[in-house]
Amino acid sequence: MATWLVRRLAASIAIVFAVVTITFFVIHAAPGSPFLPAESQHLTPETLRRLSTEFGLDRSLPEQYLLFLRNVVRGNLGQSFALRRPVADALADAIPNTFTLALAALLIDFALGLALGIYQAVRAGRVGDVVSGNGALLVNSMPVFWLGLVLLLVFGQWLRWAPVGGLSNPVLCPRLDSPACGLDFLWHLTLPALTLGLVGAASTARYQRAAMLEVIRQDFVRTARAKGLRERRVLLVHALRNALLPVITLFGLAFPFLFTGAVLVETVFAWPGMGRLAVNAIFQRDYPVVTGAALLTSAMVVLGNLIADVLYAVADPRIRVRSETA
Amino acid sequence: MNVGNWLALGGAAIVALAAVAALRRRITATASGRRFFRHPTAVPGLFVLAFFVTIAIAAPVVAPYPPYFQIDITNPDLPPSTQFLLGTDPYSRDVWSRLVYGARVSLGIGAVAMLVAATIGTAVGAVAGYFRRWVDTALMRLVDVGLAMPRIFVLLMAVALWEHIALWVLVLLIGLTGWFGTSRLVRAEVLSLRERDFVVAARAAGAGSGRVIFRHVLPNAAGPIIVSAALGIGNMMLLEAGLSFLGLGVPPPAPSWGNMIADGWHKMTVAWWASTFPGLAISLVVMAFNALGDALRDALDPRRAGEEGGEGGGAA
Repeated sequence: MATWLVRRLAASIAIVFAVVTITFFVIHAAPGSPFLPAESQHLTPETLRRLSTEFGLDRSLPEQYLLFLRNVVRGNLGQSFALRRPVADALADAIPNTFTLALAALLIDFALGLALGIYQAVRAGRVGDVVSGNGALLVNSMPVFWLGLVLLLVFGQWLRWAPVGGLSNPVLCPRLDSPACGLDFLWHLTLPALTLGLVGAASTARYQRAAMLEVIRQDFVRTARAKGLRERRVLLVHALRNALLPVITLFGLAFPFLFTGAVLVETVFAWPGMGRLAVNAIFQRDYPVVTGAALLTSAMVVLGNLIADVLYAVADPRIRVRSETA
Repeated sequence: MNVGNWLALGGAAIVALAAVAALRRRITATASGRRFFRHPTAVPGLFVLAFFVTIAIAAPVVAPYPPYFQIDITNPDLPPSTQFLLGTDPYSRDVWSRLVYGARVSLGIGAVAMLVAATIGTAVGAVAGYFRRWVDTALMRLVDVGLAMPRIFVLLMAVALWEHIALWVLVLLIGLTGWFGTSRLVRAEVLSLRERDFVVAARAAGAGSGRVIFRHVLPNAAGPIIVSAALGIGNMMLLEAGLSFLGLGVPPPAPSWGNMIADGWHKMTVAWWASTFPGLAISLVVMAFNALGDALRDALDPRRAGEEGGEGGGAA
């Protein structure tokens, strides 16, 4: 297990390194410069030269790359062109927001998804299963930002149950420093988390239903029933425990989805997270922020897969043996 | 909408129904065809797709206005009525007409991008699985990196940094970043197929690698490839919609469904119809592709029949 983990960890780092390298060269290969957008041609040549020197853009590309790598290893992600502050700081401001959003979404995703999946498996083939199954398939097929817009329209605009965007009330709670503001934050979190969570839950439910159906057919479930256990206990303890295994993989798969979704959902709900930071940076040709965000995102994706693998190995000894010999 | 448009719309529905019925007659002769149609969502899914394909082809007769036509710019955001079936958008264009023409763009992008992705994924997977050794290792490491790359991010970067990217380049890029999953699938399939007796026999008879791969191995891996392609088109369409929504997809004023959502977004509170209907169209079509994928899996991949869910879960 230990050697396997070390090998996987090394591979993960290599993958992140590759992603960062590709990102670095793609951005620098692109035409144009961060200081020469069409609308700001009025910069004097001296200013341009000074800026280029300041950010190291006057050096050759390999030189810039090596410099960049050295800084990354030291934990320095560079200085943002547009924000005029260290990239690490900008990311550190945005990450908690994205993480909170992702965590809340994940919670909704799995709580709702597991419950729905179990319900569908128990009622397999009946009206409840068919209706909720097709409903889930439809939600799973929606563009996540569109679902966000519709929820925003219905609950934010028409019913006025939820705020229409942002992290908190800018007038009453500019900073989150009181319990009331904490509630305000949660209130603002509801719709974006629900948007991401619902789409995720729809897909989790489909996996959970299939896994549950698979397990319910097996002998040990029949044994549990035969020895007189209550149906609730049979389903929620004996069957569910074994049906959770395939769903663990989803946990790893959820990471990339949460980021992709976050880019769009954060835009819809004006949520100041990583996704929005990255998108704005791309528009502004803010190279260091873009590479920093790519580094972080790919690290999260790889980490998600790693966590899923480890959980898998912990949950099922058979897999551990197989992956060690492989 | 005039009488002619309504007739054309009804005609499109009839054509779609007829197409599904014809297909059903044609393929229920085979065992896998029967398995396909036994799936409860196969017929509705096929119908939805046939319907949208039909109105996309017949766009000029089904749509009352040209897609770029601004009816009365001083009086935009008209609610749905008998004249404007789905209302008009903030630029005073008929939403229904744009939706119909948008079907061409959105379905086309999804199909072409998936074709690119499926081709590359199949080729890479087949080469890696067949030749194994360092070829396999090198290609699969590449796939690992590709899967770890935040896809929407890469596409945004490419589109934003190069500016004014042509539509075909965008489609190519969506395809080029979407083949990683398929290649893993094909590789696994090829790895098991290449050890089978009929492949050994083909090699013993003197067939070259290319012939063995294309004539003997890949035809037997077609099932999973088709299933993953059907499930993948939906994801491609969602991705296109997401990019267009951020203003980096199909260049406006071309009517892609993602563009239409973006156009109506900022006036959602006054004219909800401009964004709602295109989103509904995307959801319906993607759902149809997913339903089709599930049914195809039952039909072509009996081993994995019953296993549910595609990859990921609505990438965008």
